[in-house]
Amino acid sequence: MAENKLSDWAVLTAGWIKQNPTFVQVLGMCPVLAVSTSAENALGMGLATLGVLAISNLFISFVRNIIPNEIRIPVYISIIAAFVTMVDLLMHGYTYSLWVSLGIYIPLIVVNCIPLGRAEAFASKHGPWQSFLDGLGMGIGFLGAIMLIGITRELFDAGTIFGYRIWPSAYNVFVVALPPGAFLVIGLYMGLFRYIGRMRSEKKPQGSENK
Amino acid sequence: MANHVKIALILTTVMVVIGVILAGVYLMTYAPIAKADLNAKFKAIKFVLTNQTTGQLLVNQDEIPKTIDQLNAKIWKSNPSGVLYSNPKLPGYVLSPAYLFKGKDGSNIYVLTGYGIGFGGRVVTVASFIQQSDGKFFENAIDVIDFANETPGLGAKINDPDVRSRFFDIPNSGFKDGIRVNKDADLFPLPSNYLSKLNQYKAEGIVVTSDVMTGATITPRSVANTLNAMYEFLEKEVK
Repeated sequence: MAENKLSDWAVLTAGWIKQNPTFVQVLGMCPVLAVSTSAENALGMGLATLGVLAISNLFISFVRNIIPNEIRIPVYISIIAAFVTMVDLLMHGYTYSLWVSLGIYIPLIVVNCIPLGRAEAFASKHGPWQSFLDGLGMGIGFLGAIMLIGITRELFDAGTIFGYRIWPSAYNVFVVALPPGAFLVIGLYMGLFRYIGRMRSEKKPQGSENK
Repeated sequence: MANHVKIALILTTVMVVIGVILAGVYLMTYAPIAKADLNAKFKAIKFVLTNQTTGQLLVNQDEIPKTIDQLNAKIWKSNPSGVLYSNPKLPGYVLSPAYLFKGKDGSNIYVLTGYGIGFGGRVVTVASFIQQSDGKFFENAIDVIDFANETPGLGAKINDPDVRSRFFDIPNSGFKDGIRVNKDADLFPLPSNYLSKLNQYKAEGIVVTSDVMTGATITPRSVANTLNAMYEFLEKEVK
């Protein structure tokens, strides 16, 4: 029950770096690999996932005490699927071109490990406010990670960021747009995150790693 | 037993609540979705009715539909089943309705919507075919309006201007044996001077896409199949 003592700020920021869902927990890799080919797609996917995570965590926390343990997973999945369907309908109606370019990966947020993982690990054990903050924080962590990968891939594939040219197309490295390139970029960022984590823990006084 | 009934009741209640909320969102977004889809269609029709070399409209400005009534006035053929023509061997399908516009020079311009099967399902294309004075068809331009199930960054590049333009200005001779993407026509790897020969390849029925769409052959192939089905439909219905 030590988790209940976490401050709101600690809950919100946990997913940014220390428990980043992409680079540290390695969750939800399918859309990260597939959609991060451009910064615009990454932004759309990241925002959609962030919205679903925050709202579904909030609602799951509300109903956590009235749902029997035996059926909690189907209920969580149904709630997540409902919010994903809402996001899909809203994007179809109001951001048509983004909806077309993100395609099948919007409905597939339902089977992304992150929303269900946070529902099971956090929202089912904490109150609505902290669950909402957890979803928001993890969503921000996911958005940041997919944006970082999307910007890198677009830059090296097309020489642009959000369509604005940064360097001539002659310097493009097309392989980063392909799946092997995605693995390469993600691997490099994971290595960087681990390195930063190790450096920070080495700087801390002994015995404070778990604080 | 009581526990099972309780669980069933809770599950039913949750599903009913979710269903009601989703129905509300569906009703709220129904009109914006219909408007977005219709706008995409209007935009596509205007695009394919433009000469892509000069940027000039092939029809008078007032011929471009802006409302659903104006669009319906241009219907040339329709079928309640939703499909006007299908060739399952390709596979390629022409959807209902088909539109007919009068060009500035008096020529008939057919605007067709169709689909082929891409990597993740239907790839829907709008294309215009100009009937020339000798009765032969010249494919002017395409716009891919639904590729939502294609892989982002790969197949979903199909409507990027660089890729789309490879399907413009295909003469009648190109459709004689059906158009193919260059990988299916054994034109791979590409010769060093291929860019200067793009129009020659089109006349031979070869659409070069492998240089602008590396790693995705299935999606451009589905567009080629769609155009072949459209051409077969026009040959059957017009001549």
